[in-house]
Amino acid sequence: MAQDKSIILCVDDEQNSLALRKLVLEKSGYEVVTAASVNEALEKFSPDKYDLVLSDILMPGRPGTDLAREIKTKHPDFPVILLSGVNELPPDASYADAFISKVEGPIRMCEKIAAVLGGYRESLGTSQI
Amino acid sequence: MPTHDKVNILMVDDQPAKLLSYEAILGELGDNLIKASSGREALEVLLKTDVAVVLMDVSMPEMDGFEMAEIIRQHPRFQKTAIIFISGVHLTDLDRLKGYERGAVDYISVPVVPAVLRAKVSVFAELHRKTRQLEILNRELEERVNERTEELRENEALFRMLSNSIPQLAWMANADGTVFWYNQRWYEYTGSTPEEAQADAWQKVHHPEHVDRVLKSIQHSWHTGEPWEDTCPLRGHDGRYRWFLSRSVPMHDSHGKIVRWFGTSTDISDQIAAEQKIRQLNTDLKQRIIELETIMQVLPVGVAVAQDPQCHVVSGNAALSEMLGMNRNDNLTLTPATPTRMPFGVYKNGALLPLESFPLQQAARTGLRVGNSELEVRRDDGKAMQILMTANPFFDEDGSVRGAVGALFDVTERKQMEDTLRERADLLDLASEAVMVRDSSGILQFWNVGAETLYGWKRDEVIGKNVHEILQTAYPVTSREIDSRLISTGRWDGNLIQYTKDGREITVASRQAIKDGTTNEGGSILEINRDISSQLQAEDALRKTERLAAMGRVAGIIAHEINNPLEAITNAFFLLRDHPSLDDEARHYARMAEEELLRVAHITRQTLSFYRESTQAVEVSIATVIEDVLELQTRRLKLNNIVVEKDYYSDGAILGFPAELKQVFLNLIGNAVQAMPEGGRLKVRVIESTSPNDRRKGVRVSILDNGTGIRPDDAKRLFEPFFTTKSAKGTGLGLWISKGIVQKYDGNIRCRSLRVNGGYATCFSVFLPGTAAAKSADKGKAQEAIGSR
Repeated sequence: MAQDKSIILCVDDEQNSLALRKLVLEKSGYEVVTAASVNEALEKFSPDKYDLVLSDILMPGRPGTDLAREIKTKHPDFPVILLSGVNELPPDASYADAFISKVEGPIRMCEKIAAVLGGYRESLGTSQI
Repeated sequence: MPTHDKVNILMVDDQPAKLLSYEAILGELGDNLIKASSGREALEVLLKTDVAVVLMDVSMPEMDGFEMAEIIRQHPRFQKTAIIFISGVHLTDLDRLKGYERGAVDYISVPVVPAVLRAKVSVFAELHRKTRQLEILNRELEERVNERTEELRENEALFRMLSNSIPQLAWMANADGTVFWYNQRWYEYTGSTPEEAQADAWQKVHHPEHVDRVLKSIQHSWHTGEPWEDTCPLRGHDGRYRWFLSRSVPMHDSHGKIVRWFGTSTDISDQIAAEQKIRQLNTDLKQRIIELETIMQVLPVGVAVAQDPQCHVVSGNAALSEMLGMNRNDNLTLTPATPTRMPFGVYKNGALLPLESFPLQQAARTGLRVGNSELEVRRDDGKAMQILMTANPFFDEDGSVRGAVGALFDVTERKQMEDTLRERADLLDLASEAVMVRDSSGILQFWNVGAETLYGWKRDEVIGKNVHEILQTAYPVTSREIDSRLISTGRWDGNLIQYTKDGREITVASRQAIKDGTTNEGGSILEINRDISSQLQAEDALRKTERLAAMGRVAGIIAHEINNPLEAITNAFFLLRDHPSLDDEARHYARMAEEELLRVAHITRQTLSFYRESTQAVEVSIATVIEDVLELQTRRLKLNNIVVEKDYYSDGAILGFPAELKQVFLNLIGNAVQAMPEGGRLKVRVIESTSPNDRRKGVRVSILDNGTGIRPDDAKRLFEPFFTTKSAKGTGLGLWISKGIVQKYDGNIRCRSLRVNGGYATCFSVFLPGTAAAKSADKGKAQEAIGSR
C-alpha cells in the first residue's frame, strides 16, 4: 500500500499551518514532504519524486503562483494546486490545476486533491495502455 | 482786186465831164464811186448812204461847195465826214480858211494831177474804213457788256431770293466792310427796315458786352482777308438776345482781289440751350454717379458690379475689397480666362464653389436674379467669413443682359450668434430642463418638451391638471411655505423629489418664480426643474465606491489574516475531533468549537467567495440560476407562507461564472424571504433589456417583495459592507458582495422601496450586460422552440 501512497510536496511559510495540514493530509492517506518557501520547494522538487504540489500563495519571498508557473512551464502535466486565504484570485493562478480557499475546510481540500490526482491518473493510465 | 471793204466815195460836180474824169482817176481804188451833179443831189446821197469821202467842186451853180459843206457839217452824222474841195480858180488864203472853217479837210487845185487826187482820196477812204471797223468793234463790245450785265443782274436776283429764303441772317459788305445789304430774315429778326439800316446797323444788334470783341475780330478779318467766325448774342425785335454763330467769307474777283464779304448768322440759341441742358444733365449725372460711388464706397455692404455678361470687368467697393482681403483698386475680374489666383476661395455648404456658380457670374450669364445665397469666403490670410449674397442682372435698352450687380453682406457675426443660440438651445435640450407654468393652485398651463422628456408625461396629458398630483412631488418644506416665499420674494430655489410617469424617482433642482403680478391670486408660477438624480447618484456612488473600496481592502486584509489561523485551527479541530485520547465530553467540546468555527468560516467565506471556481467563463442562464436558488429555498418559502410568481421573459443567457451569479441571487432572494416573516408575495422577473445608462443590451432581473420595506435612510447604506437590518441574523456582507459581483460583470444593481396601499413594495433590480445574450440569441430561440418553460 505504501507504494501506492501519493506523495505531496506541501509549501507554506507558517509552521503551524504547514504541520497541521501535513497531519490532515497524512490522515487522508497521503505522504507529505514540506517546504517553507518557494525556493526550498524548487530545490526539493522533482517530477519523479512527487505526485502533486500543494502551495500557499502569499509567502515571504516569492509567491506560490511563481512556483506553479515554474513547474507548469517545465512539466505541464504535473499537478499543482494553489491554496490561499486571500479574497482575490491572483492573475497567474491559472497556471494551477485548482484553487482552494483556506476556509473551505479539510474535507473539501482533500476532495479537491483527490479529484485532481484522479484526473491525472486517469489520463496517465489511459496513455500507458 | 483790193481785199479791203469797199467804201463810198461821193463825187459832186455840175460838169459831167469832170465827173467822168474823176471816175477814171479814182476807179483804180476799187471803191464805190457815187456821182452827184448838184449839192442837193449830194445831200440826198449822204442821207441814204454812209460816205467815206466827199469830193466836191467849189464853184457850182445853185449852191457852191462852201455852202454845201456848211450844210453837211451841221448834221451831226457827217461832222467827221472828210470833204475834199476841187477848185479851178486860184483860191486865196482867205478862201482856204473859209473852206476849212466849213469842214473841208483838203484842197486840190486845177489842173488836177490824177496821182495826187487818187492819193488824197485813198488816204481818206482808208481812214474812213478804219473808223468804220473801229465802230463795229465798239458796237460788238458794247453788246457783250450789255449781255454780261443782264446775266449778273439775273444771278444777283436769284442770290438775293435764295438769301431771303434761308433761315439764317445774311448780309453783304464791300471790301472795306461797309454793309450794303441785309436779307429779309435779318430785317425780320432785328425788326428794322431797309430805310433805317445804316452801314453800322449790325453793330447795334450785337450784345453790348460782345460788340467790341466782335468788331475787333471782324476788322482783323477785313484787314487780312481771312474768313471770320464768332459766336455772340444778337438782339431780336422783341428786345431779347439770342445766340448766333456768325461767319463771313470774302468774295474775290478774277484777279484775286476781295470785292465783297458775304456773311451769315445762324441762330444757335436752341443748340446752345440744348448743349447747356446736356452739359447740365452730364453734370447732374456725374454728381449722381459721384454720390452713388461715394455711397457705394462707404456702404458697409460689399458691392460688386460686372460691366459685361462675361464678367470680364468687375469692380467692387471698399467694403468688398476689405471682405475679400484685396487692395482697393485691384481688379476683381474672375473669369476662366484669367487664371490669376485670387487671394480667397468661395465655398458653399463646405464645398469650393466653381467660378461659374458665383452668384454674380450666374446672374450676368443667365439674366436671372440670384436670391440670398449663403456662402463662406475663406481668405488666404486665414480669415473666414459667412456671406449672404444676392445678385441682380441689369439690362440694356433692347433687353439683353449688360451686366450684374452683387451685394454681399457679412453675416459672420450673425451666424456666430445663431450658432451660439443654437448651441445654447442644444445645451438646453441636453440639460433636459423641464419648464412649466402653473397657476397658484398648481394647475398646469404650460409644459415644454424638456418636461415631456424628463417626466415622460406628454403635454396633452398634463395641461389643466395639478402638478403636485402628476409628479407626486415630495417637498422638503410644505408647499404652502414655498408659495408664501414665492409671494414674498418672487422666487424659490430648492431640490424636490418627484416621480416620472413610469414611477422612477428623480431629484430635481427646482427654480420657481412668480411669472406676472405678485398677488395671491392669478399669478402664474414659472417652474424650471433640472434632473439632478444622476448627478446625485453619481456623487453618492462615488462616495460609496470610495468607501467600499477602502472597506473592501480592509476586509480583504482582515479576511486573509483570519483565514490563515482559521485554517490551522480548523485543521487542528479536524484532527482533534476523532483523536482516540479524547473522552466523550472533550469530543463534545471539540465539536462545539468546530461548529462555531464553521460560523467563522461562513463569514470569511462570504467575504472570500469572490474567487472563481473555474477560470473560464461559461454560458449561464440566469433563469436556471434563479430556479436553482428557489429550489434551495423551497422549504423556507413554504414555511414562511410565501407565494412565488415567476415571469421569465427570457432565458437570460450571459457569459459568466455560475457560482458567483448564484451567490448574487441567493442573497437577494434570501433577503426578500427574510423581509416577509409573515408571508407575502415574491415576484421574480427575467427580461432582456438595455442599460439605461449606455444602451448596452443585457439581462434585467427584478426581485420584488411586499415585505417590511426599507427605510429611506437604510436604502442609502444598503450596499455598504457590514450593514444589516437583521441584527444578529445577517452578516451585513450579502448585498455588498452581490454588488461587487454585479460590478465585475459591468452591470448594476439598485433598490427601490415604495409605500403602496398601506404596505411596502421593495424591488431589487439587477442589470447584467450580456454579450453572450446577444451572441446566443439564436441559441435562446432554439431553446424556446424546444419548450424549456
